[in-house]
Amino acid sequence: MLTRHEQVPTGLYVRSVIVVSAFGVGALWLMRRLLDDGLYLLSSAVAAVTIFLVLVYLRRRYSAMRWMAIGIGITVLFAVYPILYNLYIGFTNMGSGHLFTKEQAIERLEDEQYLPQDAPTFRWLGYRKDDSFALLLVSDDGAVQFATDDGSIETLELTDPEAEQPGDINGYRPMATSEVAPMLDELADVAFGEPPTTIRVQSLREAAATVPRYRFDRDADAMVDLTDGTIYQAVEGSFVDADGNALIPGFMTGVGVDNFKRFLTNQNLRGPLTRALVWNFVFAFASVALAFSVGLTVAMLFEDLPGRRWIRALLIVPYPIPVLVSVLIWRSMLNPDLGTIGQFLARVFGSSPQFFLDPTWTRIALIMVNIWLSYPYFYVISSGAMRSISTDMLDAAEVDGASPWQEFRFISLPQILMITMPLLIASFSFNFNNFNLIFIFNNGNPPMAGTVIPIGHTDILISFIYKLAFVSSSTSDYGLGAAISVLLFVVVGSVTYFQIRATKALEAR
Amino acid sequence: MRRKDRWRAGALLVALTLLIAACGESSTDETSAPATETTTTTEAATTTTTEAATTTAAPAGENLTLWVYDDGRIPILTELGEEFAEEYGVGVTVEAVDLAELRNQMLLGASGSGPDLAIIPHDNLGALVENGAVEAVDLGDKAGEYLPNSIDGFMYNGELYGVPLAVENIGFFYNTDLVDTPPATWDEVAEVGRALVDSGDVDVVIGLPDLTYNSYPVYTSFGGYIFGQDASGSFTADDIGMTNEGMVAGLTWIESLVDEGLVPENVDWDASHVLFETGKEAFIMTGPWAINRFQDAGVPYAVSAFPAAEEGGEPGYPFLGVQGLIVSASSDQLLLAEAFALEKIATEESMKAIWEAEPRPSAWASVFALADDADTQGFNAAGIDAVPMPSIPAMGFVWDAWVAAGTLVMTGELGPEASLTQAVEQILAQIEESG
Repeated sequence: MLTRHEQVPTGLYVRSVIVVSAFGVGALWLMRRLLDDGLYLLSSAVAAVTIFLVLVYLRRRYSAMRWMAIGIGITVLFAVYPILYNLYIGFTNMGSGHLFTKEQAIERLEDEQYLPQDAPTFRWLGYRKDDSFALLLVSDDGAVQFATDDGSIETLELTDPEAEQPGDINGYRPMATSEVAPMLDELADVAFGEPPTTIRVQSLREAAATVPRYRFDRDADAMVDLTDGTIYQAVEGSFVDADGNALIPGFMTGVGVDNFKRFLTNQNLRGPLTRALVWNFVFAFASVALAFSVGLTVAMLFEDLPGRRWIRALLIVPYPIPVLVSVLIWRSMLNPDLGTIGQFLARVFGSSPQFFLDPTWTRIALIMVNIWLSYPYFYVISSGAMRSISTDMLDAAEVDGASPWQEFRFISLPQILMITMPLLIASFSFNFNNFNLIFIFNNGNPPMAGTVIPIGHTDILISFIYKLAFVSSSTSDYGLGAAISVLLFVVVGSVTYFQIRATKALEAR
Repeated sequence: MRRKDRWRAGALLVALTLLIAACGESSTDETSAPATETTTTTEAATTTTTEAATTTAAPAGENLTLWVYDDGRIPILTELGEEFAEEYGVGVTVEAVDLAELRNQMLLGASGSGPDLAIIPHDNLGALVENGAVEAVDLGDKAGEYLPNSIDGFMYNGELYGVPLAVENIGFFYNTDLVDTPPATWDEVAEVGRALVDSGDVDVVIGLPDLTYNSYPVYTSFGGYIFGQDASGSFTADDIGMTNEGMVAGLTWIESLVDEGLVPENVDWDASHVLFETGKEAFIMTGPWAINRFQDAGVPYAVSAFPAAEEGGEPGYPFLGVQGLIVSASSDQLLLAEAFALEKIATEESMKAIWEAEPRPSAWASVFALADDADTQGFNAAGIDAVPMPSIPAMGFVWDAWVAAGTLVMTGELGPEASLTQAVEQILAQIEESG
């Protein structure tokens, strides 16, 4: 190694320095933008990845890693970081009403102005002398004052109060609306007249002697309402007064394991959650087992048929159709009153099962649709697996007088299972979280009666959690959602772990 | 080796210096701005004005940004923006942005990336206000020029947070081949429908796909409501009407029709429309968005006000949707944005121009009254007493619980009163849970 990197020509090295610098410029620019938006975590993740990449590409000692480095960088940014961030959010109160950082919330509140009860309001006109400004203030009773930005205010006796805008005053010239408007918000930051009762521009037409509404007391960690002295203590992401009234907006803060506790100790959740979990396992297991059986059967049936290529092409049809489309089509076909299947069943049996109102029938329909959606996949993998079974063993079994069923049961199936087991496990995990199907087919309905938290008979964990944390877009509780998804990961993770161990045991046999 | 290393370090150093220099330029003026904003002394004021002076030199960068979530109004708003620019020297850039994206950008208030102004449907207002993303506006005397219920749509915690532009509500449709005059009461709906079903003319009297939004007028005609309003017109979660007699009576009426086989216990929104289009359904409650498909299908229809609970009673009213212009609290040109909303948009002239460019019922009363086609007049008659859909966060808990209540009655698991009681329990539990 050492000898090799001695030989790298300096020209090449200069070129890589240039490329890396260009990359660094991009990364620094990105980090700056992220910092401006207050995304310190993401910014540091980008920084870490950038430093790593720069080191790898500039230090010859690490040159062996250069092909892997980009992959690692992308993994860190798009997989590891989101996971860690999700974990972090799980320990915060992030959600509607708590989206700002504390600093942002304080800034918002301190910006709020307040107009004391008896304070006068004025109509104003802008005046300017080079870089200093002044306001001509007309109060409701017609009195006219002239306030400048260097602290003076004087009462004017206008010769012609009817005139829309008087001419030059004290060397200041009047500004046209088109000159005032573009700098309106800069003017609003300027205090006119004599302190402490300075007058500020309130809108394009109005000015008033307003005072800030809130002041943040850093020592007490509290917001003080300057109008009546109420103290709003910072508690768990909100400024709250003694009566429990909170100021808007609140801010994001760490809440420890509160989200986890809320979820795990909630009495109202326990019943629905257990039922969702049981159905979740049944749904995932039944879907995979049945779809695999159908796929395998189809594969065996059509193995030796003439024209199987065409048949195969037709069998695969469900596969490339987007899940959304197929589920919606199934949904309309199963409609008891109007759907093709519903009407057919009604004609044959007198009435159609309520595929969307009856819990059992909804579950049966869901599993059926899922079989239809996923059997082509199992058909493809099992017909592949069947090809790899050695014919010697099958021939030997035949000589020994085994029946075709015995051949299948004791020779083909174990081998096929061994090959496809990892895929079956992956499918199980996928179906365990098959939000799309559940959500599109019937949104987890029909609803359960007698629960305090709305939940449907066909809700699986993930769709239930979706309802719980994002019941509506107006009440997003990201902290709780993240905490639950961490717990969900533990469930799915351990299920997968035991399955993998089971597979290994199977293989060892 | 060592020499080479030093050379390398030198190259890096140069690159980094260049970089920092490049970044430094933008960082200085960004950091100094907040400093002047917070100080109030005259000295600071002078600094600010110097900045103001520099900005006048380049007014091109001072454009206001207005986000709209549907593009129908972009041309007219752009035109109004140009007029505003002529008068006030500041242009308005109108951009179409997906509603979810619009909401997120405004909620996060990310520096400089959000709009100064936006048009939103009013039911999004609650979340924006609760997160401090919207600035209150003061319409002053002009408020009287608007439909009072359109103003209610943008009232939140006693303050007005937007300038209403247009209103939208569902109406009561009937098939004019089958029904001559719109029924005045729900009993009459059942009576007329029963005769049509018995004679085999229709399969379904009226499709009620969700028993919530599209069926709300049934509940309201009996006196039901979801959340009450306080004196200022703001909704409050302290007053939940979901278990009152009216809601129960409405759901009981629906249940009786289902039991009689006049209304299917489970019908899709789309299926219900198809039934109406094919003449298999006598009545349907739906919005202006269904007009095109009804016309394409060639079904003879008329829109009218909703029936009442009893002869001479108050007709049912639907939810009102209000679209309005809001000012982002993250805008660094707050006053200017407000000036555009209040001085330019909230005028009869502009409101009329907007309505003419895209004829949705205007929130400006005198323009609202200009509607002259039968459909719009029908919708307006149906929606004249409409109450805005509450935009308080608690409304988010209502939908699922309400749908569940209706479904449980349809499956026969619970009676109307029990199912609505469960719904209220669910809503209250979630309100408490969310703090």
